[in-house]
Amino acid sequence: MASYILKRVLQAIPLLLIISFIVFSLIHLAPYDVIDSITTPNMSNDQVALLREKYGLNDPFIVQYVKWLSQMLHGDFGYSLINQHSITSELAVRLPNTIRLVLPAYITALFLAITLGLTASANKGKFLDRAVDAIASIGIAVPTFWFAMILIYQFGYRLNLFPIIGMHTIGKENELADFLAHFTLPYITLTVAFFPELTRYIRASANEQITEDYVTVQSAFQATRWEIFSRHISRNILIPIVTQIGLALPMLVTGAIITESIFSWPGVGPYLLAATKSLDYPVIMTLLLLSATLVILGNLLSDVLYAIVDPRIRRGGKTA
Amino acid sequence: MKKLKYGAVTLLFATAGLFLAACSTSSSPNKATTSKTETTKDASSFTYAISGNPASLNPINTSDRWGLTVTNMIYSPLVTIETDGTQKNILADSIEAAKDGLSVTVKLKQTIKWSDGEKLTADDVVFTYTQKAKKENGNADKLWIGGKPITIQKVDDYTVKFNLPEPSAAAVNNIATETFIIPKHIYKDVADFSVKELPVAPVGTGPYKLKTYKTGEYLTFEANKTYFGGTPAIKNVTLRIIESNDTAKVALQKGEVDAAVVLPSAISDLDSHEITVYPYSETRVGYLGLNTKSDALTNVKVRQAVLYALDKSELNQAAYLNKKYYSTPNSFLPPSNPFATESVNTYKTNAQKSKALLAEAGVSDLKLNIGFSATDPAQTVQATLIQQQLKKAGITVTLEGGDGTAIFSELKKPGSTKYNLFLGGYIMGNDPDLYAALFKTGGSSNYFQTNNAKTDQLFDKAAVETDPSKRKALYDQLQKEVADDARIYPIVDNKKILAVNNRITNVKKANLVPIYTFEDLSKLTIK
Repeated sequence: MASYILKRVLQAIPLLLIISFIVFSLIHLAPYDVIDSITTPNMSNDQVALLREKYGLNDPFIVQYVKWLSQMLHGDFGYSLINQHSITSELAVRLPNTIRLVLPAYITALFLAITLGLTASANKGKFLDRAVDAIASIGIAVPTFWFAMILIYQFGYRLNLFPIIGMHTIGKENELADFLAHFTLPYITLTVAFFPELTRYIRASANEQITEDYVTVQSAFQATRWEIFSRHISRNILIPIVTQIGLALPMLVTGAIITESIFSWPGVGPYLLAATKSLDYPVIMTLLLLSATLVILGNLLSDVLYAIVDPRIRRGGKTA
Repeated sequence: MKKLKYGAVTLLFATAGLFLAACSTSSSPNKATTSKTETTKDASSFTYAISGNPASLNPINTSDRWGLTVTNMIYSPLVTIETDGTQKNILADSIEAAKDGLSVTVKLKQTIKWSDGEKLTADDVVFTYTQKAKKENGNADKLWIGGKPITIQKVDDYTVKFNLPEPSAAAVNNIATETFIIPKHIYKDVADFSVKELPVAPVGTGPYKLKTYKTGEYLTFEANKTYFGGTPAIKNVTLRIIESNDTAKVALQKGEVDAAVVLPSAISDLDSHEITVYPYSETRVGYLGLNTKSDALTNVKVRQAVLYALDKSELNQAAYLNKKYYSTPNSFLPPSNPFATESVNTYKTNAQKSKALLAEAGVSDLKLNIGFSATDPAQTVQATLIQQQLKKAGITVTLEGGDGTAIFSELKKPGSTKYNLFLGGYIMGNDPDLYAALFKTGGSSNYFQTNNAKTDQLFDKAAVETDPSKRKALYDQLQKEVADDARIYPIVDNKKILAVNNRITNVKKANLVPIYTFEDLSKLTIK
């Protein structure tokens, strides 16, 4: 088991290096560079040249890359070129805000999806199945921003039940009730954004299980459908669910960009959007790298969890 | 089995209910409920929605909209130039240019105090301008004339003298505007003024003091009791950062914020009993630019043919809906600029003339593209209309909407020919010399890529002409030449529309101005 995990971790390292190189190159290939964003129409060419030199933009590509990578490895993500704020300290505030929103929403969506998916599968072809399928289809088709605007309009404005901007009322930063009021609408939005695809996935996985031999055997032993689903199928769909959880890891950083921006939630989303708008490339690169890293780590995590859930995998096919 | 089914059914109904509730939005808003938040609202604070973080909070180099808005609340300049071109003394008691045009003397008001209680003196002014004139600090260009910096000296405790390397008519304007005086006793140990945030807590002479700044969330301010204009009537001010236009509008409607900038199309949704809109000119010129380096447009006759095919009033009516929300410029200067003239070729719509000019130039089947910001509703409408209008003159236009910043980065590259036409806008300020950056050969924002010796000379001559009437005549001629050159088609001076909750009063007294929104926030009051 330990050697399997170690092997997978070691495999991930070169992959991370390659990703970092690709991220850096891509930004470098962009048709404009950061100097365009810090100059104003009134600056002379001399001044622009001065700034280029100061920010190390005249160094050769590979020098810039190595400098950048070694900084990253030291946990120093550099500074925003727009306002010179430390990216590390900015993320230290924003990442928890994002996680605080995404994690509960994802967990809720997962539970909702498991319930709906299994229900649909248990009633395959019947009304409930079709209803769940319809809900999932609508959910996938509805754009997040549109749904968020409707929530804002309906519950924030017309019924006036919830505040619509930010995470706290200014001056009430430590009040839980105030936080929950601000939290509700973005949380619902995200849950609705997450659950439809998960539901479909679980429904499909469960449908696959139904055709397995063990289900036929159980049916032959007169087990009720409830028993089959609750004791057997639900355990076997754990494996695909674990894969999903691993793959969902990057969402903790970038999963709520649109929702956060609409509700002015002070997470990573608005930060990335603002950075993209103003070509603040150290910020863009840091977030790209972070999210790419989480994709790799997520895969790693799902492989490891997979191995724990299904012993056949860690034995690598060897028979005991 | 039953248990599972009931659980699922409940969930199903909950989800469906959510959708149904969400979808039934067509009826009109319930006004009775909207007052709930207002009555609970803090009677001592004013909240203004801004669309992004201030890029810089360093008064020496800030030049972005929200950075300047914040700076204008905390600090004060010597003088401001009003939109009609008149000077208004702020920290200065008098400002006087020498007859030879080589120096400007400023006397300071003697009663002004910093927010920490210290007195404002000439030392502070000298300190500020010395830092600002350093190129590496990032905002020095206006303080350099002909490659040399303006120097400043202290005459006595309340008098300073600016020495100019050569005569400059624009000097008073350039020295006075957008330089916010900072106290020497607070900032003297700051080693580097090129950063975007200075390492000491701000102390200024403006109406408000910065209390907290949470990036991406808000900035809060409290009234500066030592403010020379009198203690501000509203004790607390919050600038709340809301990036989404739509969210800002709803936040305004339900009273979570007191003021926000809105689009003309959003005005009809606002309840006029609770919210008043204040349109005001930002002296912005929205324009169609012609890239004179692009192969299709090197011939001035072809450029003129393009302009004759356009219809300005149609473009504006479509994008800004009502004459209340825009005015129409003739030359490259905004209509309210004291130097703006009407006697230029305005290219009155004439498709026949357009065709004749194209024939004269020997061009047929002209194909052009147009770059515009796809996220700007006004530009998107205008670009599609331009496509239709030019079609009438037999010119084919392809639309190339994109990211505004990216398009202008491309246009800024010397020799760029990617876009033939482009939509843009500028707010340059009052003195016509400031527009040289756009229209002079090699100017830092010469997106038109013009190389025109005649207009260059006129810019040079007018910049040093100290006789006001002669200067005016030179700029009249300059505007005419630029129009004849057909590199820019000024479309609109669109107004900024500030929507304010009626509980906030005296908005007009606080004076709505370009960039800063409120010239003096201390004048606002709460009902």
